Amino acid sequence: MWITLLLLFSAAANSSFFTLNSSLLMAQDETIVFTPQWTAQAQFAGYYVAEAKGFYRDAGVKVRIEHPSATQPAMSRLRNNECQATTLQVCQALEIVDGGIPLVNILQTSMNNAMVIVSSRDRNPLTHKGARVGIWSVGFGQLAICMSIKEHLDYQWVRFAQNVNLFVSGALDATLAMSYNEYYQLVQAGIKMTDKNVYRFCDHGYNVQEDGVYMTREYYNQHKEQAHRFAQASRKGWEWAAKYPEEALEIVMQYVDKNNVATNRVIQRLMLKEVLRLQVDRESKKREFRLRPDMVQQASRLMLENKMLSREVTFEELSK
Amino acid sequence: MKKIIEYIRRKLSVRVSLWVVLFATIIFIVALSFLFFQAREAVRKEAINRATQILDNTSLRVEGILNRVEVASNMTKWLVLRHPEEADSMLVYSRSMLLNNPDFYSCSIAFEPYYFKNKGLYFSAYTKHVGDSIRTLQGGSEHYKYFYIDWYLMPKLLDQACWTEPYMDLDAPTNTYDMVTSYCVPIKNKQNQMIGVINTSLSITWLSHTISAVKPYPRSYSIMIGRGGTYFVHPDTTKITRQTIFTQTMEHPDTALTALGYAMQRGEEGMKRMKIDGEDSYVFYKPLGKTGCSMAIVCPESDIFSGFDRLRHTVMAIVAVGLLLMLYLFIRIITRELNPLRRLAQEAETIASGQFDAVLPDFQRIDEIGQLSHSFGNMQQSLVRYIEELKQTTSQKASIESDLRIASAIQMGMLPEKFPTKDDRDDVQLYASLTPAKEVGGDLFDFYFRDEKLFFCIGDVSGKGVPASLFMAVTRSTFRTVSAHESMPDRIVTTMNKTIADMNKTHMFVTLFVGVLDLPTGRLYYCNAGHDAPVLVGAGVGVLPCESNIPVGFMPTWKYTLQEAHIFTGTTILLFTDGLTEAMNANSEQFQMERVNNVAEQALTDGQQEPQLLINRMIDAVHQFVGDAEQSDDLTMMAIQYIKQQSEVRMQKSIVLTNDTQEVPQLNAFVEDICKTVGFDQAVTMQITVAVEEAVVNVMKYAYPPGHHGNVTVEASLNDVRLKFTIIDSGKPFDPTVQAEVDTTLSAQERRIGGLGIHIMRQNMDSINYERMNNLNVLTLRKKIHNT
Repeated sequence: MWITLLLLFSAAANSSFFTLNSSLLMAQDETIVFTPQWTAQAQFAGYYVAEAKGFYRDAGVKVRIEHPSATQPAMSRLRNNECQATTLQVCQALEIVDGGIPLVNILQTSMNNAMVIVSSRDRNPLTHKGARVGIWSVGFGQLAICMSIKEHLDYQWVRFAQNVNLFVSGALDATLAMSYNEYYQLVQAGIKMTDKNVYRFCDHGYNVQEDGVYMTREYYNQHKEQAHRFAQASRKGWEWAAKYPEEALEIVMQYVDKNNVATNRVIQRLMLKEVLRLQVDRESKKREFRLRPDMVQQASRLMLENKMLSREVTFEELSK
Repeated sequence: MKKIIEYIRRKLSVRVSLWVVLFATIIFIVALSFLFFQAREAVRKEAINRATQILDNTSLRVEGILNRVEVASNMTKWLVLRHPEEADSMLVYSRSMLLNNPDFYSCSIAFEPYYFKNKGLYFSAYTKHVGDSIRTLQGGSEHYKYFYIDWYLMPKLLDQACWTEPYMDLDAPTNTYDMVTSYCVPIKNKQNQMIGVINTSLSITWLSHTISAVKPYPRSYSIMIGRGGTYFVHPDTTKITRQTIFTQTMEHPDTALTALGYAMQRGEEGMKRMKIDGEDSYVFYKPLGKTGCSMAIVCPESDIFSGFDRLRHTVMAIVAVGLLLMLYLFIRIITRELNPLRRLAQEAETIASGQFDAVLPDFQRIDEIGQLSHSFGNMQQSLVRYIEELKQTTSQKASIESDLRIASAIQMGMLPEKFPTKDDRDDVQLYASLTPAKEVGGDLFDFYFRDEKLFFCIGDVSGKGVPASLFMAVTRSTFRTVSAHESMPDRIVTTMNKTIADMNKTHMFVTLFVGVLDLPTGRLYYCNAGHDAPVLVGAGVGVLPCESNIPVGFMPTWKYTLQEAHIFTGTTILLFTDGLTEAMNANSEQFQMERVNNVAEQALTDGQQEPQLLINRMIDAVHQFVGDAEQSDDLTMMAIQYIKQQSEVRMQKSIVLTNDTQEVPQLNAFVEDICKTVGFDQAVTMQITVAVEEAVVNVMKYAYPPGHHGNVTVEASLNDVRLKFTIIDSGKPFDPTVQAEVDTTLSAQERRIGGLGIHIMRQNMDSINYERMNNLNVLTLRKKIHNT
């Protein structure tokens, strides 16, 4: 939505001032500034819970959550040391490591892939060769690109900032969406979802983990104990959210309101439910909170095959 | 409730009033329902018209402004294409747009990445109002990659000009949001390649204010949604830009709301009736020009119809109060109108209590009540008169009833009351019962003994009551009179028939069974005149064969036939009238002969064939069968049981004489010898001798024609009980027993010939009996030996 972006604009002016102060403070107080990848939403419920319920404080670690802005996306903040931890999808992390910035995965929350392709006009995306498919302008679509190449679908990728209106107006034939976010936004816009027009990557051999918390290896090496405490308290936050989803939703809505995000409780409830579902490993049926070497290897090899990586980035490179 | 119903049932005024009010209520309901329905329809149509007009006006206004934006954009596009290679010109065009159209919000003329080689990746000539001035700058940057934004992508992908979804734009200096929508025109070069997009934005905050202010009814409100269903106008401001029309349906499916959302998304225009927040509402919707937005006015039904409902409730209240008032007035008026009736009822009550002279009120009215009062007065007078007549009639009836009781007593008195039992007689015992259906009846029975014969009859006169009883009395006395002179039942009946038929002016008749039972022999002579055949209860149960003949009283010349039967010792003859077989129960079923036979058989089995036992048993059976049903006919039964035990003959002698009186001494010697043998004393011997002589001399003198020789046989037989003389002759039939006895009070000259002989015989002997058998006259004289 435009409003989101415009809010980010407005936040940018303020946050640059705070960022300056915060980096100074961090040096003194060793505060970990944690920047989730996106605006405040239930995707980051566990961290909000950990902060709101005092899990970070109890763990003896100072954490401040600062959301990204249009001018300062999460990765750029990490790179500039404006934040010390951020969430990234595995594929993104691989790209960044391949690009020369070593990262450490200190907590893996997602155990499943959430990406889907939603086709308009009730059409199976796999049969729609050459379709104009929306893709996030900020990344995330690596697996979809791999899949389209592999399946010879020859999709025309249309990079977007926001896909709902484009999709509804008929400018796109299909669009990528996260099952916990854009998927529900599309439903909310009156798009009918059927078994036919939704393609779930996780069901077609592309079940690669997504969100995890990353630090630069440099920072991690210097603050292992803090990083460990931060990860444990965050994990505790997620476990609490899974146990008390309605209370967790309340906390999420407080962050949503504070950040003036144009969303609503219904969407956030659905998002939280889906995010929590994605955290349960398909095989063990447990919230494992671990990076799976097999998934890292699968993603790394797929991206390498499609020349998205210059080399294979290994699980060990991301491990603590 | 029960008391109320009871009260209503008791009060005519309340009942009539309730009916009237009920009908009035029905008429009101029907009329008002129709009226309300029509009025409601009118209100509904008015609401539709009103909402439609508002929507049309708003839509037209939007269209006008949008058209201006489109024209200006197309003009700018024309300018851009004149110098597509001059980036700085774009800044001028962009600024000119806002200068020429101060009400426009902003204008961007943005180009494809690296379109202007010297400008780098981004070039967007962006002009916007800042305060009172207009600022133009290059809008693209790393942080604002416009070519990923909807307003740039949409015309590019759709390959045509289009309106984007509205968005809320923050005006930093005033910290206020503007709702902005953009018209985006793709710019194509001569090679038809897309080179950029002109984005002309228009603040539609005014529109949102206008739409928010649309309030055709106090509680109605308006909404506006974008292409994606997002609320841009909604009374709940927290929903604006944050929720879509479908949001709440994601958790709580609402097909009506979903359908409305789709219809509005499709740009349709219309009206839907649905529940919004649990309230029935009308939703009127219409697209807003080409913006892709749609506006809807939500009018709660209660709001639309609030005026109508107020009117309806008022009318209904007035009608309800009116009806109650009507009920009250009707009750009062009818009560007042019926007051004379109540007084009349009280007076009638007084009259009913016996005060026939009570004075009726004079209402001075000519209506129905006046007529009723008048009629009632007449009725009272008639009543007084009738009561008087009734008194007379009652006293007459009482007198008649008294007479009837006397008549009944007389009638019953006519019937034998003492019935011989085996204690009284050794040859026969008898019992009879007559129960009339009314005070007096037409049934009769009678019996008497004469000359060792039992004369009996049973009859049933046609009809009932006094006429039948009189006829019965006549019949019974005729029987007595005739049977005094006749020994044979056929002759008795024939004579009775002639006598009765001759004086029968009323054409009544009587069925009759007359029997003569010769007690010494058990021989029964009988004649039936249309009566039910008697039942014989002896070795078994059977019916005495009877010729029916005709009832007595029809044809004076009818010759009734004689029948004969031998009754064995112990056999009971049960005679009855049709009151037995036709006794009826409550189901109109008759007792019938079959039940008579069954009861008789049962009695026989139980050894209860003695007359009284048998009749009582039969009466019990009839009562049981009839139950509580009223007795329909006289019920008469008579049972005769022959109980004569034949004694052993100890001596038997006979003498045959001619019809010559010279042989009388020989007779006397014979008789005296017998008497001596028996042991009678002198006096009795004399009596017997005189009696036998009288009988034999009578035969000798009159049995045969003069000069004609004939015999007379005298047989004497003795058993333990009696001495019997049997005088037999073959002369002309003659029954001395039916001859009138001499009136011994008269002098010898005055007496009729023959009468003295029979008198002597009866005086001297215990019984005399005559029979005509085999053309022989058989006269039997009996004397009990214990008399000695």
